[in-house]
Amino acid sequence: MIGWDSWKKGFDVWENATAKYLEAWMRSPLVLGPGGALLTAAMRSKTAVDGAMDAWWSAVGLPTRRDQERALHALNQMQSRLIDLEETLAEIRAQQKQQASTKA
Amino acid sequence: MIDEAKGERRWRNLLGMVKRPKPVVGATPADVVHRENKWSLLRYRPRPEGVAFETPVLLVPSLINRHYVLDLQPGRSIAEALVARGHEVFIVDWGTPGPEDRHLSFDAITDGYLGRAIRVAAQHGGRGKTHVLGYCLGGTLAVVHAAVRPERIASLTVLAAPVSFHDEGLLSLWTRSSTFDLGAMIDATGNVPWQLMQGAFQMLRPTLPLSKAAHVIDRAWDDEFLDGFFALETWGNDNVSFPGEAYRRYIEGLYRADGLMKESFTLSGRPVLLRNITCPTLAVTFAHDNIVPEESAAPLIERIGSTDKQRVHLPGGHVGAVISRKALATLWPTISAWWAAHDAEPEAKVEPKAKVEPAAQEKPRAKAKRASAKAR
Repeated sequence: MIGWDSWKKGFDVWENATAKYLEAWMRSPLVLGPGGALLTAAMRSKTAVDGAMDAWWSAVGLPTRRDQERALHALNQMQSRLIDLEETLAEIRAQQKQQASTKA
Repeated sequence: MIDEAKGERRWRNLLGMVKRPKPVVGATPADVVHRENKWSLLRYRPRPEGVAFETPVLLVPSLINRHYVLDLQPGRSIAEALVARGHEVFIVDWGTPGPEDRHLSFDAITDGYLGRAIRVAAQHGGRGKTHVLGYCLGGTLAVVHAAVRPERIASLTVLAAPVSFHDEGLLSLWTRSSTFDLGAMIDATGNVPWQLMQGAFQMLRPTLPLSKAAHVIDRAWDDEFLDGFFALETWGNDNVSFPGEAYRRYIEGLYRADGLMKESFTLSGRPVLLRNITCPTLAVTFAHDNIVPEESAAPLIERIGSTDKQRVHLPGGHVGAVISRKALATLWPTISAWWAAHDAEPEAKVEPKAKVEPAAQEKPRAKAKRASAKAR
């Protein structure tokens, strides 16, 4: 137990010092710059591959993944607009009820 | 003798870790009161004695984390504790975005979805208003919403919510790096994968996995600690992707342009001005928060127009200080008491200069809806 406790104390000191060093290093432009460039290059490659797949897919007359996503998104938007209308109707009904009860 | 017993239990628990049952998370009974696209609004079942306050409470978690961080485990759940104190508690479960949600805009989430959650929760109270509590990015969304549509918000509480984004933190520097092409990333991935965001959070403390492992071995004798640790790990590894278009706006408008501080950010075409927030506001910041540093969360209180405002600065990190047993015993009772003090209409307390400025007044709903539709 004493051995473990001493090891843990030493580990905590090492971890704290290493974390501080790595955090400073991560914030350096020498890491951020190439890191960003690498990520961007990977993303552009993926876009190019996806684009080629889409072109092939639409060449045989089938909807692409993007087409399906756009259609589904439009349906979701319609659902939200319908709920908006329901809310507006409920509010109008509540107002009418209130006006009727005030008159009575 | 005690040390020996601890040592024996430690080894037994470490060896039995693989067979340890999965932690029960998000177990406080709740009903879905609204569902739309992938998100839903849950209402925790009130305590048997009934609700003690007129104004309900709406919890808004971060868009990229599961809502059950605020309802982690029985006996260690914020939702459970608030229900036990007599609050009527609602929570937004953002759900898991599908590939089609890459087109979902920041306005649709912050104005449309959050607005709806606030209206539904507010209907349940006697005042037609609700207290709103936002945590992390959920707090930023709540702040943006409250600055433009304050009508149904009785009070605003934000925990570790970033509003100033030009700090020297890694996330801020990374998003402003000239080689990071945001458009290329969203074009390629649609929704920004949670793995990518989790990787970025790991970079904030690269030694964290090692440190966690050592800490678990150190405390493996403590079953209660292990239960809490695995519940938190379950939550920490159960993230969701960020809808692409919303992410684009979040990074460009908030991180890169620092839109809340520079008053350049808009919601559904209307300017988001922090000085237009006039409801009672409580902001909680944490001293050891490396995800949302104090300098990123603290300026809210200085910038808002409320006269009834308070900032509480506490020790602890981004998650631990919110969900720990200590937080359940100190932070949450404080927040609950603050809500209780603001349960009635505050008109009598508010000084004349605290009136909402005309720019922030809600226009007739039909008009606002048209603006919202136009923005989309």
